[in-house]
This record gives sequence, structure tokens and C-alpha cells, in this order.
Amino acid sequence: MFIKGFPQDKQITYAGMLWLLAAQLSVMSPLAFYLPVWLIPVLLISAAWRIRVMKGRTEQPGIVVIGALGFCGIAGLLASGIALVSLDMMASLLMLGFAYKAIEVIQRRDGIVVVLTGYLLVGVLFLYSQSILTAMYGVFAMTMLSGALIAIQQSAQQSIGSNLKLSAIMLLLCLPLMLVLFVFAPRFAPLWTLPLHSNHARTGISDQMTPGDIANLSQSEGLAFSVKFNRARPDQNQLYWRGMVLNYFDGNTWSQFQEELDPDVEKKTLQTSFSNIADRLDKRGEGIEYDIIYEASGQSWLFALAPVVSLQGEALYGRNFNIIAKHDVREPMMLKLISYPDSRRDVALADMLHQQALQLPPDGNAASRELAVRLFKTSSSPQDFIDSILNRYRQDAFYYTLRPPLLDPQHSIDDFLLNSKKGFCAHYAGSFVFLMRAAGIPARVVIGYQGGEWNNNGEFLAVHHYDAHAWAEVLLKNRGWVRIDPTSMVAPQRVEQNLQAAVQEEGSFLEAKIFSMTRNQWLNGVRKQLDSVQYRWRRYVLGYDTRQQAAFLKRLLGEVSVGHIAIVVGTLFTVIILIWGIVLGLFRKQPREAIEHRLYRRFCQILQKKGIKRLPSQTPQQFCRIATAQLPAFNQDITKFTETYSTLCYQPDRVSYQQQIDIMKRLLSKIRKQR
Amino acid sequence: MLNTVNQLNTALFKDIDACLNALYRVILGKEQQVQLALTAILADGHLLIEDLPGMGKTTLAYALSRVLGLNYKRVQFTSDLLPADLIGVSVYDPRTAAFSFHRGPVFSSIFLADELNRATPKAQSALLEAMEEGQVSIDGETHALPDPFFVIATQNPQTQYGTFPLPESQLDRFMFRIALGYPEPVVEREILKGNQGRAKLADIQQVLSRDSLLEIQQLVPQVKVSETLLDYVQRLIARTREDDLCDLGLSPRGALALIKGAQCWALLQGRMHALPEDIQAVFVAVAGHRLIGKQETRGEQLARHILHEVDVIGGSH
Repeated sequence: MFIKGFPQDKQITYAGMLWLLAAQLSVMSPLAFYLPVWLIPVLLISAAWRIRVMKGRTEQPGIVVIGALGFCGIAGLLASGIALVSLDMMASLLMLGFAYKAIEVIQRRDGIVVVLTGYLLVGVLFLYSQSILTAMYGVFAMTMLSGALIAIQQSAQQSIGSNLKLSAIMLLLCLPLMLVLFVFAPRFAPLWTLPLHSNHARTGISDQMTPGDIANLSQSEGLAFSVKFNRARPDQNQLYWRGMVLNYFDGNTWSQFQEELDPDVEKKTLQTSFSNIADRLDKRGEGIEYDIIYEASGQSWLFALAPVVSLQGEALYGRNFNIIAKHDVREPMMLKLISYPDSRRDVALADMLHQQALQLPPDGNAASRELAVRLFKTSSSPQDFIDSILNRYRQDAFYYTLRPPLLDPQHSIDDFLLNSKKGFCAHYAGSFVFLMRAAGIPARVVIGYQGGEWNNNGEFLAVHHYDAHAWAEVLLKNRGWVRIDPTSMVAPQRVEQNLQAAVQEEGSFLEAKIFSMTRNQWLNGVRKQLDSVQYRWRRYVLGYDTRQQAAFLKRLLGEVSVGHIAIVVGTLFTVIILIWGIVLGLFRKQPREAIEHRLYRRFCQILQKKGIKRLPSQTPQQFCRIATAQLPAFNQDITKFTETYSTLCYQPDRVSYQQQIDIMKRLLSKIRKQR
Repeated sequence: MLNTVNQLNTALFKDIDACLNALYRVILGKEQQVQLALTAILADGHLLIEDLPGMGKTTLAYALSRVLGLNYKRVQFTSDLLPADLIGVSVYDPRTAAFSFHRGPVFSSIFLADELNRATPKAQSALLEAMEEGQVSIDGETHALPDPFFVIATQNPQTQYGTFPLPESQLDRFMFRIALGYPEPVVEREILKGNQGRAKLADIQQVLSRDSLLEIQQLVPQVKVSETLLDYVQRLIARTREDDLCDLGLSPRGALALIKGAQCWALLQGRMHALPEDIQAVFVAVAGHRLIGKQETRGEQLARHILHEVDVIGGSH
């Protein structure tokens, strides 16, 4: 059924309608993860409505119905709790219009509007997710859209496969252009920022440590960050990815500050200038250069080998030789860092900080305090005292477990050190720092990640959430802050290898996950491959910013100047256009028509300029009659020309070919010149 | 030599003109259709006339047989018609104590199959061999049909009650299909006055002798068809075979019929060479019943559309 009042040959066919619906569905499906899901039923109902109209079962809705629908849709969006001025609202409105448009796709141009909006929505999808899977899905959606665009132009139905093939070829032809644009187009900083999705959860390490927290984190196999070393990779047991320094202990929980502060305030308090760091640093040993790509965590805390001496990227130096992101990490972010782990830090520590590193709650854990004082008295030096404590961990019946018993909250340290003796890094680091402080040695808890998984395919180190770790730093005279990891006394495998090795006996590694790719050996291989692909995607595609572009262009062209780039881009464009031309057959030689036909066509062109157009179906004689009737002045020449041509074409053996051609040429120039 | 041929031709052209004029007197105002009908016969092809009842189909067929002075038999096709009713039957003769073959109506030079599509496919198929081979086989014996042998069939449009569609294979055996259409008002007035139609049929005299007819039939292939014209024909055929337009394009047999028809048409116009006009004149009659369009487009419409679209000019020759 076609709608009256619209030209029939411009209306979208039934097959075209189904194509459009499929394309719309494929565009909207992934966005439903981020935007109201009910927009998809809206699309389905709209399309079903239109199809019923096409089959003649209902009437096309009038303007009142459409208006009411639009009103309901907008009201629904407002009721969905999306902020009025936000990207989510803008995208949702676009989706709503996109879905409703299915009711009104009657003519081809409506279909084209739908397809073009679809292309835009594929772009919108990348505001929400930039993973390689999203990119692959985007290509699929584009193929579907182009297939729909092809289908709505067809009057007769073609097979689905042939349409998809054609659209895939079209996209494939665009690929070189896309690559050139990707590599060469300037990367502008955004002119404005939109309040992006507010509902992002925070992941990763929190800025507090209550024994139990890190164990929860150990049950997550998500990626925290990945590292690429520019030179040799440091030993596994040296990979302490330092995050936050926890100075304050309230008897149960370790935190950065005494009072709970807003993260922004904390950040401001902790950030410092590089000169401050440099003053407090005695740079020693060799620098380690590496690139880190941090996954989205929703937080500002970054992890690096301490101390960082040089950094490139959106980050600041922190007061405790750590680094902090300028903005919360909401999408993968890359930093280029140089660290000098052998350096000495804070050899001369300010008093205030000194006091901070000795803070203890006024009471509680009496037995532990007493133990510390007793051992310190019998030790010859602080180093000796530290060794004797560490020896206790090693020789006493301490046990590394991810399933520690609950501790008495009033005297957690006592309970752990003297009774249960079962725990993981947070317990060991916390109790160690407590003993140090009780004996008067400045110490602090450091949390971050330890180790990581080396990916041979991608030559990078993947650090997962289950690599989260806590250790201690002790201030020693003339040596500054010294890293001490009491966990390594109890479970050396944790540091030498990884968490999985440390808890192998217990079997508690990722035990909360019913299905874990990491636990299964074969799947683990697949996971590593995927990680490697994703790493490359993040590093080379998503990470291709102004800095990387400049470096890449410099390597490619030697010297980077506007003229240089213009020449290269111009050449590439020309090559691409040539390839298109060849593939599309633009340069393929058309079989040339014989000279008499070309002369006749020129004759037709000349007459057309004089206002007489020949229809393709008109024979020379018929055209001649029409032309002479309208141009009596040319009667003789036109008749003669037609006769000559006609004889040459249809009675060729009666005449001499060349002679006739000459006659035609002569007549032609005569007709052209004559006014 | 050339002269004698020309003289001979001139005589034949005169005969043809006389034929046409005789026919025009009976079938008023339908010059185009009459010419097409005569063209089909002269080109040794079979003719299918499709139209509503009462449009003069039978009159045309009968007039043709009279003008050509050929032996003529007519069979009204009905749904209970059997092949034996057409071909004949072997009958036991008690005097000679043997079977003897009694020839059916198909043994005639012009066989008029009236309302062909009212018969069942079985009866229709009895004509297949006769039309293509000029012979019939019965009881394992083959009997030759007279030469010339033409089938002129009339059929009612398929939308009418009690019709069976003709299979494509049978349709392809008809060189032309033509439709007569309603007469012009002036002509209709003449018919109403009674100056027209069957009453005049009896007046028709034989115009063409059997020898002349055979001579003309031999002359048809000699009509010159140039390479340029063949280019045009091939463009037309190629267009019928493009899948966006037709489900069933023109077969090589159809293409041959197109060329032969154009040659014969040229002859009717008194020319010994064919022009694009000749192709255009017979194209719809040749292609209309052979093409099957997408979305139930009628073959004639499709043929006209193609004719309108394809450029007459051009080609590499």
C-alpha cells in the first residue's frame, strides 16, 4: 500500500522499511546500555505501526497524534532522571527522534534522514565507550546503515547479502581515507566540555585501608593499568607501584588524613611542584623510562614506581613522591614517566612530617606497644630492631591467607600479632608500621599494586586489581624513606611471582568469581591475547594525541612543517582517489562508438541547443521530421544529414564509408555555423 | 540480374499492397494490426490474436485465409476438446479389416484455433508439435502437414471466466501476439450502418497465389539487416534480460522472430533493407507475450517501456 499524495516511485518499499528497521536497531542497541532502555521498544512500536500502515491495516497518524507522541516521549525522558543539560539528555533526545522517525519514513528522503542520523548516533556511541569492541561494533552498524541506504534506493528487492556486500565494499573504499585523516588531521583540544555521564562508579583502590578492603579487591580481575618499559624490565620483586601514603591510624583504619576530606581538597593538599620534590630528593642509580596507560577508575590516584622524576601528561607531582591525575580518570589515560627507584627520599625530613609519621591512637593495643618497646630496647640499632620484627613474621607461625578471621576492632593489632596470626598484606603492613611507631621510628603504610603480569605478545606489563598490595616505609637516618614489605617475609611468592602463587594452597584466588578466565589456563592464554590487542588499541589508537602525532610525523617525515604535511597529504589523497577511480571503473575504457554515431550525437547536441531534443527512442527519420518541422531554415541540411547517416547505418553496402563520413562532417559544420 | 530481381520484387510489392487493401476493406481502421497479421503469415510465423469477444478476431483470421486463397479450417476450442478432435483418429474399417487414419482439422493450410485458451492444457499441447515441426504424430506414425501451415489462434484475456493460461513454451511458438482494440468512432459508425464486417467477407477474392506467397517467403531473409541495426536489436534484448525489470527476458527464438518480423515488415513497406522503425513496429507484438515483468507488469507495457528507454543510435559498428 502506498500513501496517496506522494510520488510512488519515491516511496520506500517494504523491503527498504525492514532494512531501515534493522539498521536502526543495530545503531540503538549498544546505546541502550547507557541511555534509557525503553527507547528500543519505542523504535519497534513505531516501525510496526509504519508497517501496518504499509499493509493498509491502519491510517498514517495525523499531526495531533504525532504531536502527542512527541510530548509523551519528552516527558518520559524527563521522568527518566537524566540531567536536563547533559550529554545524556542530548543523546537521548536524538535517539527518541530517531526511533519516532520510523513512523514517518514514507519517502526516500525520510529514509536518508534516518540513515544520516544513524551515522551521527554511531559517533555518539564513542562518547560512551572507546574500546576496540565498540569500534568493531561501530563498523558493523555503519555497514548496516549503508546497506539500508542502498536498499531504500532500490525499486526492486535485492538479496540481503548483495546489499551488505556492496555496503562493505563502500566502507572498505573509505578505509584509506580514514587512515590518512586519523594520522594527519590535527588533534584539537575540545572547545567546550559537556557534563559527561555522572553515573560512573569508582573502581580500584580506595584512599583508606581497613584490613579486609584489599582482600575484596583481590577478587577483581579487571585491568588497573598497563605498562610498557622503554628499556629493560625491572625484576618482578622490584615492581612496587606506589599509590597513596597512609599516615593516620585510628586504631582500626589507616587513612591519608585525620579527618574525612573531599577528594578535591585532598588533592589540592597533596599536590606540589617539581622543585619541591627535587629539593627533597637525592637522585641515585639509573632511571627507568616507561609509559603507563591507566584504565578508567573515576579517581585521581595514580600508581608509579617511586620516585617519579619526569612526567609527561595530564598529571601532577604529589607531596609524598606519588603522582596525581589532574582530573579524575574517566577514560584511559597515558603518561610517560621516568623514575629513579634507588634514590634517597627525605633524608632530612621536616618536623611536622616527622610527627605525622609517629602518630598513634592514644590507647588500645597495649600488648603490641609493650612488645615493640621491649624489642627496641634489646636492639642495637633501628635496623636491628626492624630485622628482629621481620624475623618474628618469618619464624613465628604467621600464615598468608585471603580468608583471615575477624579481628577485635578495639585491639586489632594485638589480636592479629598475638592470636590469629593469619592475614594478608594489609594486616602485615599495618601491624609492622604500628610496631615501628610504637618504638619511635617514623613509618607509614603505602598502598598500591605489586608486580603485574608480563604479556609476551604485546611486550607489556598488565597490572590487575588483584595485584593490589600494601607495604611499609620506614624513615632511617641518612637513608630517608626505606621500603619494607613484611608480607614478603610470610609469603615470598606473593612478591616473587604473584597472588595466585601465594594462595595456591588455599585456592582462594578469585574464588568469588564463578567464571574466571584468569583461573583457567587455556582461557588465560586467550585473555592474554585479548589484553594484548586491547593494549595496542589503547596505546596506538586511543593514545594518539597531539604529542604522539608530532612524534610519529617526525619519525615519518623527518622534518614536520605545514608544507611538508600538505604535500604528503595531497599525494595520499590523490593516490586514494586514483584507487577509487580504478575500483569503481571510472578509467575503464568504454567501448568507443563508431564515428558515424558520434557525429550523429554531435548533430543531436547542436539541434538541442537550437531547442529540439531527441528522445532515445526516436529513429533518425522520426527525429528528422520533427526537426525540419520546427527549423524549416535547416530543412535541406537536416534531411540530407539524416539520409546520409541512415544510409551509412542501414544500407552500408550501397555507399562508400569514408565519403559518407566526410559528407556528414561537412553538413555538421554547416548546421553548426548557420544561425 | 539486379534489374530482374527488382522487377520481380516490384510485382511482389504490388501483390502485397493488393492483399493489404483487400484486408483494409474488411477490417476498417486497423491498418497497423492488419499489417502485423499479414507480416506474421508472410514471415512463416504463427499468429495469436488476443482481445475481448466481439472485436473482430475471427473476421481477421478468416479474411486472411480468403485473401491468401488457402485451405482453411476452424475449430472452436472448448474445455472438453480432446487432441484427437484436432489431429484425427484411426478408425477400424470392417471392409478392409484394418485401421485407417481419418485426418483431423489440423490438416489444413490455415488452421484457426478459436478461443485457444478455453481448451485444457492437454488439447493445447496437441498443437505444439504441429506448430514447431509442421507434422503430427499419432499411433507411432508421423503425418506431414500441408505447406504452408499457419496457426492463427484467438484468445480471450486471461481475466475472463473459463480460460486456461497458455504455457510459456506455447506462447513462445507464436511469432506475434496482437490485440485489436475498440474501433475508432468513425469506423464504428460504419459498422453500425452495416457497411462492414462479416457481410463483406464473402466478397473477398484470393489476391495472392500460392506461388507468390512462397516467393515472398523466400524473399524475406534477403531483406538487408545491417550491423548497426543488429546493435540496436541486441541493446533491446539485453535490456529485457536485465533483472531489475523482467523475470523472463526475450529468448533467442524471440530475438530471431524480432528480426524476421522486422524484415517482413520492411518488405511490406516496399523496402529491401530494414530500419529501426521496422524493429519498433514489430517489437511489442514479438515481445509482449514473451516477457514476464516483475510485480505483475504486463508484457506489452514492459515492451513499450523498453522501446521508449533504449537508444536507437549507437553501437561499435
